[in-house]
Amino acid sequence: MQILEKSKLDDFLQMLAKHQPVIVPTDVDGLSQYAPYQAQMTLLLDGKPTVSPKGIFLPQTEAIYRFKAQGKNLLIAEMENQQTPQVLFFVRHCDVQGIVCLDKVFMSPEYTDQQYAKKREITTIFALRCNGSKESCFCTSMGVDPEKANPAAADVEVYDLGDQFAFEALNERGEKVLSQAAELLSNQDNVILPPVPERKLQLKTEGLPEKLSTTFDAPIWNDFMFKCLGCGTCTYLCPTCHCFDINNKLRGEDGLKLRTWDSCMFDEYTLMAGGHQPRTGKKERIRNRFLHKLQYFYEKHQMFLCVGCGRCLTKCPMNIDISKFVQQVMKEESR
Amino acid sequence: MNQEAIQTKMRQRAKELLNSGAVTMVLGWEAGTFWYQSTPILIRQAEDADKLVWNDFCQNNLSKYLLDFRFTNEKIALFLKGCDSRAFNRLLQDKQIEREKTYIIGIPCEGMKDHRLAQSKNEGDDLPLAKICQSCRYPNPVIYDELLTEEVTPRQKIVDFSDVEAIEQMSADERYEFWQKEHTKCIRCYACRNVCPACNCRKCIFDQATSGWNSKDVNASENQFYAMTRAIHIAGRCIECGQCEYVCPANIPIMLMNKKLIKDIDLLFGDYDAGLSIEGQPPLGHFEKDDPEEFM
Repeated sequence: MQILEKSKLDDFLQMLAKHQPVIVPTDVDGLSQYAPYQAQMTLLLDGKPTVSPKGIFLPQTEAIYRFKAQGKNLLIAEMENQQTPQVLFFVRHCDVQGIVCLDKVFMSPEYTDQQYAKKREITTIFALRCNGSKESCFCTSMGVDPEKANPAAADVEVYDLGDQFAFEALNERGEKVLSQAAELLSNQDNVILPPVPERKLQLKTEGLPEKLSTTFDAPIWNDFMFKCLGCGTCTYLCPTCHCFDINNKLRGEDGLKLRTWDSCMFDEYTLMAGGHQPRTGKKERIRNRFLHKLQYFYEKHQMFLCVGCGRCLTKCPMNIDISKFVQQVMKEESR
Repeated sequence: MNQEAIQTKMRQRAKELLNSGAVTMVLGWEAGTFWYQSTPILIRQAEDADKLVWNDFCQNNLSKYLLDFRFTNEKIALFLKGCDSRAFNRLLQDKQIEREKTYIIGIPCEGMKDHRLAQSKNEGDDLPLAKICQSCRYPNPVIYDELLTEEVTPRQKIVDFSDVEAIEQMSADERYEFWQKEHTKCIRCYACRNVCPACNCRKCIFDQATSGWNSKDVNASENQFYAMTRAIHIAGRCIECGQCEYVCPANIPIMLMNKKLIKDIDLLFGDYDAGLSIEGQPPLGHFEKDDPEEFM
């Protein structure tokens, strides 16, 4: 492993920033998120930012192509996408798993989303192993290993040793980035890693998808739907929610085709062209969101579309709590 | 009366009302996942009344939920704080709800605690009141069928516009930069709109993406268009419950804009506090021949 004194972190990041843009967790005007690194920036190394890193790969707004209408002709111009590499720093294991979930959707064997895949290709991800646990964290219950970042997305694992960081490259790409600041790093074998604290919130999830497959008409949904505001806080802060909408933006002859995040909690979601709304109310929307995360996605990919980061538990204005839902389903006899 | 005694009384009244058949459901708050959260609950069975809580975090304004029951004929009892009761009047004034279908149990409110700060503290630590509650002028319900306790003293007598004035004193460029920064953070989750008791349009313009009024792309310009349209739409109707700011995941000072509009309404049409009574019409809900119209 390669050791960096914490006091040298800023020098380290500056050195990397000479080679490529570096993205770090920080507070921007009162909202914690991943943002481009600048010298002397205060980094958020405790916990995780309110806004997850999914926007790095699936931006909330993204132009797909330009078009121009001239008479009966339509000209289409591809967007120039970022081609140069970048490094994404200090992603917690839950959020790393979130990226693996997105990969399943956007880089599936059936279809590869070019823009998403490009961003994944150019981004080296430094995971940060947890040295604490918030009361809202339940990653271990959702199949996330707090000891080891999912190597399907992480390129370097970072261990917080107190006064030092230990870096462990998980692949060649990670090694290459680390070599850019080799002079600040010292090699050390037999690094003693601090223990990862137990998650305070632990749920039983074994057999959950099977159990849920019989709950579609169960009364449990009524208890959870009543207080929902129908806002997009849960879906937009979620590291795995990935629904999007395609829009046109027109200015005279010029147009832009945009992909924007969408939320299954919104009224307009699933609204059909003829005006029919198959998901009529809060109950149907919440049911879809929970079942997508805990049953449908699992059936397709053998992993949950919830990584237990706990953002929705603390940020839902009405405290709709997916962990409580899981506990209640597991407790109850299938109805 | 302390919180625990109020809570006991809440549960007792809920049970009595359900058992007697006076109402078929009760809206209140129950304990949330963490100690700094309370969350709305709908109770239909008297034995569930013991789930009700009254503590420092019963922020949620329950009046807005009545819109979900517009088309039922059931009678609903609900607990309302001062601000929530102004929201009730607002909805009543807009003919969105029916007084006869509700039974209001008023709770004079000592103020809720700062739930954001609480997340970095331990249970039992001293916490300041939520910002909105520090300047509360109407802690006592203004409409009710019964009060749970004796009335409390308002924490402020007049509106403190000092934060609004600080913004007004900025140059136009500084002001633009200030709001630009704030609205860049907006993730357009629409929680502020959905929670607002003054927002009760059947179809919001921001839920009509194909109309072209507002684009779904999230950037400072579109976000500001949303934020300002929302603020202007509730001008003269904001009841200062601060729920918009409370629910904002991006910590945008939404009440600052609402307060600026309250100040302007006061200046243009005379002092007006929305939701104090259902008599008359809100300043922008009717017209007088001598209304200011300097833009004409």
